[in-house]
Amino acid sequence: MTQTSADETTTVAQRRDLANALEVDVSGDEPVTWDGLAGRVESTSDPAFASIGEEIRADLAGQLDAALLEDVLDGLERELRRLPEVRAVGVPDEPGGNYVAVAEPGWRLYDHLLEINFFERLDETMPRFTAEHVERTTRELVGTESLSSALEEIGFDETEKTALLVAVATNNERLARWVPANQIPDGVEFDTSKVPPLHQRAMGGALLWIRGLDRHLWQYEPLVTEAILDDAAWYTKAMLGGIYVTALAAHDLATAESFSDETVTAAFTGSAAIQIVSQEDLMRDVFYITDEMRAPSKLR
Amino acid sequence: MELTEVEDGYRLTNVPDDPVLEQHDTDRIPEVDVDQEMLSESGEDPESWLMYGGGYEQHRHTTADVITPDNVDDLELEYELSVGTGSSMEGTPVVVPGDPPIMYQTNGPNHVNAIDAREGEVLWSYAYAPPIDVLLCCDDNNRGVAVYGDKIYMTTLDSGVVALDRYTGEEEWHTFTGDHEVGYSATWAPVVYDGTVYTGSAGGEYGVLGFLAALDAESGDEVWHEDTLPEDEWIGASRDSGCGTSWMTPTIDEERGVLYTPIGNPGPDFDGTVRPGPNFPTCGTLTMDLESGEIQWGFQESPHDVWDYDSAAPRVLVRDVEIDGEETDVVLGSGKTGWVYILDADDGRLYERSEGCSQHINMWRMIPHISEEERIPFVPGAPGGNDWQPPSYSPETELAYFVHQNFPQDLYWRFEEYEPGDPYWGGGLDDPADEIPDEWNGYITHFVAVDPTTGEIAWMDQIESEHYMWGGSMTTATGLVFNGDQNGNFVAYDGETGDRLWEYEFDVPISASPMSWYDPDEEAQYVAVQVGGSGWLRQGPRGDTLAVFSMEG
Repeated sequence: MTQTSADETTTVAQRRDLANALEVDVSGDEPVTWDGLAGRVESTSDPAFASIGEEIRADLAGQLDAALLEDVLDGLERELRRLPEVRAVGVPDEPGGNYVAVAEPGWRLYDHLLEINFFERLDETMPRFTAEHVERTTRELVGTESLSSALEEIGFDETEKTALLVAVATNNERLARWVPANQIPDGVEFDTSKVPPLHQRAMGGALLWIRGLDRHLWQYEPLVTEAILDDAAWYTKAMLGGIYVTALAAHDLATAESFSDETVTAAFTGSAAIQIVSQEDLMRDVFYITDEMRAPSKLR
Repeated sequence: MELTEVEDGYRLTNVPDDPVLEQHDTDRIPEVDVDQEMLSESGEDPESWLMYGGGYEQHRHTTADVITPDNVDDLELEYELSVGTGSSMEGTPVVVPGDPPIMYQTNGPNHVNAIDAREGEVLWSYAYAPPIDVLLCCDDNNRGVAVYGDKIYMTTLDSGVVALDRYTGEEEWHTFTGDHEVGYSATWAPVVYDGTVYTGSAGGEYGVLGFLAALDAESGDEVWHEDTLPEDEWIGASRDSGCGTSWMTPTIDEERGVLYTPIGNPGPDFDGTVRPGPNFPTCGTLTMDLESGEIQWGFQESPHDVWDYDSAAPRVLVRDVEIDGEETDVVLGSGKTGWVYILDADDGRLYERSEGCSQHINMWRMIPHISEEERIPFVPGAPGGNDWQPPSYSPETELAYFVHQNFPQDLYWRFEEYEPGDPYWGGGLDDPADEIPDEWNGYITHFVAVDPTTGEIAWMDQIESEHYMWGGSMTTATGLVFNGDQNGNFVAYDGETGDRLWEYEFDVPISASPMSWYDPDEEAQYVAVQVGGSGWLRQGPRGDTLAVFSMEG
């Protein structure tokens, strides 16, 4: 039993769109990969982009718990490496178990960030998703070698890393619908005071979807196919990858290590984008099981 | 009282300051209290229909056997009675056996009649006086009463329950279970078990937090009040306005000591980005302990829903069915997704999902969100599938019967620049769709018979109309299925084959669900149905008729 490769979750056209978004010319059958793009993307200096990271650093660096974050990073890596085993199990034996455990280090990160008002501060500091902000983010991510290598170290191969970039770079319109809570005006049809900050929704939503997988797969077993199980594992990996990037950037802030202010901005923006896009794709491909997608009935 | 359409729903006008009670020949009502044994046996007793679903398992089945496929041609109208106020007519009467049998019938807004069911005469009537600021999403519905002891119980539009002396109509107590000023309302028939009244919550279009409540039947005191949304399944404060209301009658499992209730849409309806995650257990089934309200299990039909795919129809509990060689109890859930879900009553695990009861055209295909220009018509639309219309089950045919709408609508997420002072709805709904998809079969409703052991569709009656079919069905011990349609036809089907064996035509739609009883003194079986258009969309002309048919045995 194999886990879905990112080759199957991003199309050639999507990878071409990624290259186009970064204004990189690719020819013929030339594959589009993170590493291949890294040396060809022009870096652009943007003081505004850097100042966001600077502000976040000034606000939050002192409140982040480096030891806890290190533990979270270890836990996320452990669960990412365990994912093939979880996939190999197939439909879980009970409604809570494998994927509940996979999400656990992410919840520890979430709780810590919630405690220090990290999400609220990001809503106050970060701009909403716009085409320009997303493009700037992608350029910065591609050029951050330490991020690329960190993802490799926790088990993302080149195509999977590239799929994460595709999620960030090619979904402007979808991402634009996720609006920071403090930018939703009064007068909408719901109570805006009940809307959690954007980055809390991105991470919390991703974790709820992962944790809900055991119950969903267990309850819906008669409809579940191998392709659905593959997708569940891949989108979980992608969401955990996004959460890992948040944890990595937070840890870097806490320890004043290597990330530039631009990279801090890009890491938090990009990780939220990955979590958002992947949770929407997960619901479409794993939770919304149409008759065309489902396993044949064994009762009729 | 009148119902007025306003921008965000409906409001009542010309409401009296106080309830209005009119008493006539109340001495005719036999003073025989309804006890728990009578309630538990309601589904088996041909002389009784003591609760909304006929019995606790909500089979909507009568064991009366006078009317058969062979003689249904001779079924005749016994009487018509003008009972309503020309408003919503979605209720199912209950009948308490006696000499004479007494019927308790409700219609919108919060109007109840005690009727000599044999003669068709009103013995007392009561109209509750809801506040004029009650905001209603979907008409001024009331779908029936519960009965226990010397009382009947009716939910009130301002999110309360009123207990009336069933012999006189006098008010005994009224309890609010939610605050109507924040959007709560109540329209369903409550159910009583073991001296406790079980009721739910409505307001899923107004950002409320769904709940179920248990009230002491004698005093009205709240025994428990439990939210439907577990805190650890939601992110931050999104749960507080996450809805997940429970706005139809729960199904009681006396053996397991639990109730099964349908759960509605998450809130806000169309913008899922502000309430991330599956939004468990919205749009599905929830099971709660009868004594404590503790959640046992939940099952979602449309997680993180953005199509208003409520699951509102009462759950049907079917015992001792054989599935894949094993005998088991199943809970049938049928919602707006256009399928029936066959669930293990013990743990909510899916045995099988039925074949499509409606068509599925562009179903769930609008995730990720698309732009307004790219919008596509889809089936089922926001009315379903199966909206609130109660299904029925026949132990005779071993089939269950469901009403599923089948009409294309457009739903779109509109990208809006957030500007202070400008409205943000995040989307809109068009009925009918701008473009009707080629694949649509032209039938707005499917009335479907489903095998609950396999999910196979045994037969389907496809209905053409300008209106949606808005009522539920009823089965008989002789294998008949009664159902009223939106074209005014009250139909008796052969439950096995779907053949129409008998029809009676009214001049307005039927939006209610029929019931039946046997009167031993008259040696006759009666079938009753309320007649008149109702609903939040395409309701059709109003009516105010209670029609009762009879056949001597």
